[in-house]
Amino acid sequence: MTELYRLRSVTKRYGSNVAVDIDALTIAAGRLYTLTGANGAGKSTLLGILAFLTPPTTGEIFYAGERIDWKSETVGRRRRQVTLLHQSPYLFGGTVFRNVAYGLKARGIAGETAHRAVERALATVGLDRFRDRDARELSGGEAQRVAMARALAPDPEVLLLDEPLANIDREAAALLEAVIASLPSRGTTVVMTTHDPDPPAWLIGGSIVLEGGKVAHADL
Amino acid sequence: MDFLISSFAAALRLIGSFSPDVVDAVGTSLSVSAGATLFAALFGIPVGLAVGLSDFRLKGLAVTALNTLMAVPTVVVGLLVYGFLSRQGPLGALGLLFTPTAIVIGGTLLASPIVANYTLASVRGADPRILPTALTLGAGPFRAVTTLVGEIRFGVFAAVIAGFGRVVAEVGVAMMLGGNIRGYTRTMTTAIALETSKGEFSFGMALGIVLMTVALIVNLFLGLLQRR
Repeated sequence: MTELYRLRSVTKRYGSNVAVDIDALTIAAGRLYTLTGANGAGKSTLLGILAFLTPPTTGEIFYAGERIDWKSETVGRRRRQVTLLHQSPYLFGGTVFRNVAYGLKARGIAGETAHRAVERALATVGLDRFRDRDARELSGGEAQRVAMARALAPDPEVLLLDEPLANIDREAAALLEAVIASLPSRGTTVVMTTHDPDPPAWLIGGSIVLEGGKVAHADL
Repeated sequence: MDFLISSFAAALRLIGSFSPDVVDAVGTSLSVSAGATLFAALFGIPVGLAVGLSDFRLKGLAVTALNTLMAVPTVVVGLLVYGFLSRQGPLGALGLLFTPTAIVIGGTLLASPIVANYTLASVRGADPRILPTALTLGAGPFRAVTTLVGEIRFGVFAAVIAGFGRVVAEVGVAMMLGGNIRGYTRTMTTAIALETSKGEFSFGMALGIVLMTVALIVNLFLGLLQRR
């Protein structure tokens, strides 16, 4: 297995509160991991760190062997290889197409290539005919699926999912479960948070359990 | 009462006949206000964004300063700029005093804190997920901020319109820095002050009606944008 992330002595403090305190953690490429823990265990903070959005207070993070320097352009470059999808995703104003094409445009991909990538991503989440719909008029489940399509369109190396199935209907959840389960076979590394201490069978892969910001158990 | 009614009727006739003095004052008012608003937007929007999006030690002080500057009396701004532009002032050699440019400079100083404050309020009221979403989708810092501005564009437009409203309705800066020169720097507000003091009440009222109409349109726009 190829090592993708390596965390060493990583902490994240907010004032006197220690949100994350991890001695060592390794995440391999192309696998699906569940990240479990109670509320306040540090799951979302850890995802923010892995997404290169939240700089740790102390410690080192290596991605594909490269040490992340949070003050240099390496963060921006690495951020383009990782996408974080929130439980309540924000959709930009405008059409579904504009939303799904956003990450492509940010990477300089436009024209026919972008159109094809958007169509493909929307088809993956079963929203082929939604491209011209107003993103703000979608239901919760549809919005979550659009957000998933938007995250997938640029084909990131890593997809970080913060309870993506929490607020959506059963049908949308089933569809997203199938999409998420298929990602490792495409080479995408997935880290997905869940409250469920016994993740369902389709979530086959590694598991990381956080307690009070520390790694209580890791099956990597 | 007859005086008011007859003055009002005369004012409407002046507007309807496109009196050159009325047209000049309206034209000057709108052009200097537009110029001042443009510069205030170019300065105030980035300042509002910078203060709203960054964390620095004196941020509280910066916000207080912006709020205070919003309340500075127009004559104080006029006095300050007068000091710079008068013949003995550091910029006196430019010969800008009593020109439309001087009014634009003063108007810019008046409107900038308003534009900055409204923009700051929009940034603070923006959905906190916008920037992280843009960044995680691969946007660089500049694109992420432009995305944020796009998402709060109605608030930013409202900021610009509020700045315009402040400049078009003020009299202190226009009087002190423009000098109320007929056909050159006479604005609606300075013309109202002068003509009324001369006893030309209907002329003042005509300009008052136009000014109120402009203020009404500005506020209608503002209300429309704030509802978006």
